[in-house]
This record gives sequence, C-alpha cells and structure tokens, in this order.
Amino acid sequence: ATEVKVNEVEFNPKFVCRMIPKLEWSTLVQAADQLGHREELPGELVPDYEKNEDFLKKVHRVLLEVEVIEGCLQCPESGREFPISKGIPNMLLNEDEA
Amino acid sequence: MFSNIITETRGEDTMVRYYCTAGNGMESFLVEEVKKKLAARDVHQIPGKVLFSSSATIHRVCDLKAAERLFLLLKQDSPVVMSTHTSPAKTASVLRSRLLGDRRQWLSAVMTWSRLQGELAASRSAVTTSTTHGVREKGRGSERQSDEGKKCRQEFRKRSHSFTAEESDEKRQRGREQIRRHALELEKDDDVKESEEVCATYSKKELEQNVESCSKNMKNMDDLGEDAPLESVENVSFRINCKCSGSLSRCAGAQEVSKVMGAGLSKLLGWKADLKNPKLEISVFLSDDYFLLGIPLTRLPLANRSYIKSTGLRSTIAWAMASLAQIQPGFCVVDPMCGVGTILIEAANEHKAACFLGVDIDDGQLQKADENTAFAELQGRVHLLKASSKALPLPSASVDAVVCDLPFGRKFSTRVNMADNLPLILSEMERVLCVGGTLVVLLSPQLSCLLKKLLSHTHSGPKGNKEGESQTGIKNCLVSSSEQQISQIKSSSSQETLTISSLRHQTTLRVSLGAIDGLIHKYIKTPD
Repeated sequence: ATEVKVNEVEFNPKFVCRMIPKLEWSTLVQAADQLGHREELPGELVPDYEKNEDFLKKVHRVLLEVEVIEGCLQCPESGREFPISKGIPNMLLNEDEA
Repeated sequence: MFSNIITETRGEDTMVRYYCTAGNGMESFLVEEVKKKLAARDVHQIPGKVLFSSSATIHRVCDLKAAERLFLLLKQDSPVVMSTHTSPAKTASVLRSRLLGDRRQWLSAVMTWSRLQGELAASRSAVTTSTTHGVREKGRGSERQSDEGKKCRQEFRKRSHSFTAEESDEKRQRGREQIRRHALELEKDDDVKESEEVCATYSKKELEQNVESCSKNMKNMDDLGEDAPLESVENVSFRINCKCSGSLSRCAGAQEVSKVMGAGLSKLLGWKADLKNPKLEISVFLSDDYFLLGIPLTRLPLANRSYIKSTGLRSTIAWAMASLAQIQPGFCVVDPMCGVGTILIEAANEHKAACFLGVDIDDGQLQKADENTAFAELQGRVHLLKASSKALPLPSASVDAVVCDLPFGRKFSTRVNMADNLPLILSEMERVLCVGGTLVVLLSPQLSCLLKKLLSHTHSGPKGNKEGESQTGIKNCLVSSSEQQISQIKSSSSQETLTISSLRHQTTLRVSLGAIDGLIHKYIKTPD
C-alpha cells in the first residue's frame, strides 16, 4: 500500500466480537503486518476474547480504523492484483478473466 | 437500545397523540416501527397515514424511519358530509361546527405543540453551545458532545421548572444520538433573523408557568430556529394547509375550506392569519372517510435524513427494505448495486453490530457512497467495492443478507439492458448468500414480473411482456466472455433454474416511489 490512513472510529465491542469469528485471523495479521500496522496483534486468536477489552480494542483498530487509501489487494491463489484507489478496491474483471 | 422503552412513571396525561404520513405501501412498516420503538398505543392505520399515541420523547418520535411527515393530532373525526347543493353559507357553517369546535381544545393542543417544540429546541441548543466551532460543525466524538450537552441541559433545568424535557436524564442518554442528528436536521433550516422577528411580534402576555419558562429559555438561546416554543398562546400567527379528497372536494374546495377555517380560527382564538411566515401551520385533511386536523412538528419531512448527504433511493423505502432483511448482530450484508449507498446507511444506522458491503460498477456512484458513509460516520462498518454485480468477488455462501435496489432499466448503464442481465445478477446474489440468508430486492413492475417468471418452474420461450418495454419475457443470456448480450431464445428450462432454484419466495410488497411504483420481493435461501 502506498497510502494508509488511520481513522478514529467509535469503539463498539459487540460489533468487534461478532466479527472476529468471521475473520481469517492469519490473513488479517498478515495484512496488518504488511501495512505496518500490526502493532501488537497476536499471531493467534486469544481464547476468551469476548471479555478481553484490550484485545478487542486492538482488533477494532486494525479492522475499523486502519484504511488503505491507495494500494492493492492481491489474490493469494492467482497473484492477480486489484488496485485500491481512494479507499475503494476495484475488483472488476477483464473480459478475458470472467 | 430500543428494548428499554420508557417506563411509564408519568402516567396517561403525558401521552401525546400523533399522526404520520407515509408513502403508499409503507404504512405497515410504520405501524410496526411505532409499536416497537415508541411503545405506541391506539395505533390506527389509514391509507397514507398512521395515527398513534406515545409518551416517548419527541426526539425518539422524530427518529422514526418509515414516516414521511410528523404531526401533532389536533382533531380527528368522521367525515364531513355535505351535498353539492349546499349553499356556501351553509357549507361554511358546517365546516365551522365540525372542524373548529372547542376553544380549549385548540389552546391545549397548541400548548402541547409548544412544549414539544421547546423540547426539540432545548436539545438543539445544548448541542450547539457545546461545539466550539459554531453551529454547523458536526462535532467529533459524540461522548464529549453529549457530556457538555448534559451540562447545558442541567443549567436549563435550573431555569425552568416545568420544562418536561429535563425530567429524565436517562432518557436523554438514550436519545443522545438522535438529539445530535435531529438537532442538525433542524439546524439546516435555522433562520436566525426570522426568529428574532417572530419574537418581536409576540405580546408580553404570559399565561401559565410553563409557557413563562419556555419564553425565558427562548431568550437565552441565541440562535433558535423558527420552531421556538410560544411565548403566549394569544396572538399566534398561523396558516391553514388544506387537502380535500373525494366527494367533499366537489362541495368545498381546499381554498374555500382554508378560508372558512382561517376566519373561524381568528374569531375563536384571536389569532392572525399569516400566509408567508406563520408561527403555526395547521394541516387539514378532508376525505370521504375521515377528517384530520394536525400541526406539523418538524419543518422538514422526517424522511430527510440529517446523516445522508447525497440521496438516491428514498430513505424510508431503503429502511423498510433493510428491515425486511431481518439483520442480526454479526451479519454481513451486501448491496451488489449500491449506488450512493442509501440502503447500506439506513441499515447500518439501524443495526449497529452488523457489517455492510456496497458494490457498484460506477466510480461516480461509489464516490458519493464514500462521502455518504464518511458523513454518516460509518466508515468502520460500511465498506465499498468496485465490481460487477454479475461477477461478485465474494465466496459462495459467505453473506447473510443481500439487499438491493435494482436499477429500473432506464437508469442502468448504457450498454446493457437490465432485463437481459437479471438472471445472472440474481444468480450471483443467490450464490453468495448462505443457506437461510435473506434476499430483498426492489424492482420496477416490469422487472418484478420478469423475476416471478424466472423463478417459477415453468419456462416457455419468449413471452411478450405486458408493457413491451423490456424485451421479450425470457431470454437466455449466455454471457460469454467476449460478448455481453447474446440472447438465444430457447425454451430450455435447465438454463434458468440452475442457480436460482434455492430461493424461496416469502413476500412481495408494492410501494410508491413517487411518480412510479416499485415492488419489493423477499426471498430466503433454502438448502438445495
């Protein structure tokens, strides 16, 4: 990523809790790492995270506050890169890819 | 938040009777909403309107999402019946007796209106005095704002004894967010100069204690909008807004009714009619089934959201669609043709623990959606993606709900015809939905027809669609890689039923979108 922004977003623990089971944790950590915003995110999901406000806040930060404005997403399988511009990834496929 | 409805410590006399106008088809949504959010009683639905009583704070009432405009009910009764042969004098007399009625009733209604306006204005002032950068600033950090707001409110309390708005701090906290939003909405039509003029025209007569304290507060707030509480219920300037329908309109037109009412009111209460800048607007609805008299409580319709910058779909419809999707905490909800994001924003504001993804193919729309999302402060939970609804970059069965306003064919991108692409778009929507997930779509009548056909199990070849606008009934679109439209008219059912077969139809609702109607379809994905 060439431009990353950190927003201030109101912390909603319930929301973060609900989102965690839907995440691919290792991918999240890797992405955060690549952006240089991993901070103290553990490599593995902390057990009993619902009560761990400290942990939830870290997840909140990475999930909701760190935003890639310019950069790209890369498909782990094909290596195909999808550009991100003004915070919005462009995932339109070319005609020959569909 | 809405589960702790106000405990009834105050008793019956603080119940206020309101009515809201609602777009056609929205009435049942509104009925459900007032019952759920405002613990409304005596809810009564008539075409285009919902009447209800509630003791919820005015901010909560103003936060209704399915309503168009909000009124304080003055009077409601059986229809005014007159024959066409009635003389104008007799007509006037009938109108006066039926509609005007009791002086006390009017005064008490106006007092209630004034109290409610005071409550609305009080919170607004609390918000504005707490922001340092002036009136228009949205303010960062709702907590800080509300803390300062609380301080202002406490000051208020010292000044006014019977200011009912201050009665419950607890209610304030719940209404915090609504206060902020609504306050900003009211701020939009702030006209400081006008309010000063209005103040000047009032007499200094003070009737009751609460009116007195209202006026004290009014003088202390320096940038009030027009809807300030009344200093006195004498010398009120008013305007009649009348709508007549049905057979009555043949006997007495809206203008005539307005005149009679206007003259009558002036005589009854000593009020002055003012067509340009009235303090009070009286709304009169006369139809064959009933008549309604009310006072609008807000200047702008509730449907004008303070948190949306660029509008697309009418916010009330967007909200209704989101409510149909029965979004639960933790849900992932996708709008594959999100446009400026109206549905996502309405849904995200209603469901705070779900996350939303908007997909659109158009940069301009996405840009506006981005602005809207930021403006509504929802960046963390609403994400945007540029992609094609015919090839969603999402894994199968990964989404809990899909809510979408399908372009009605005319506004869609120049190259393709919506009808031709409907099968593929639907199929993608179905694919990404997990089992048990909900699909809610808004369609034009033609597309609705087409969709019904697509999902039925009988397929016969091309059928002329009634309007003839969209092409023939069913076309098999083999969207090959190099061509967008190859329509092959085959009567093969296998093509159609492939991936759309697991959608089970739940309901179809007709709603008015203004000039045209739309149809909302709801489906659930079944294991198949």
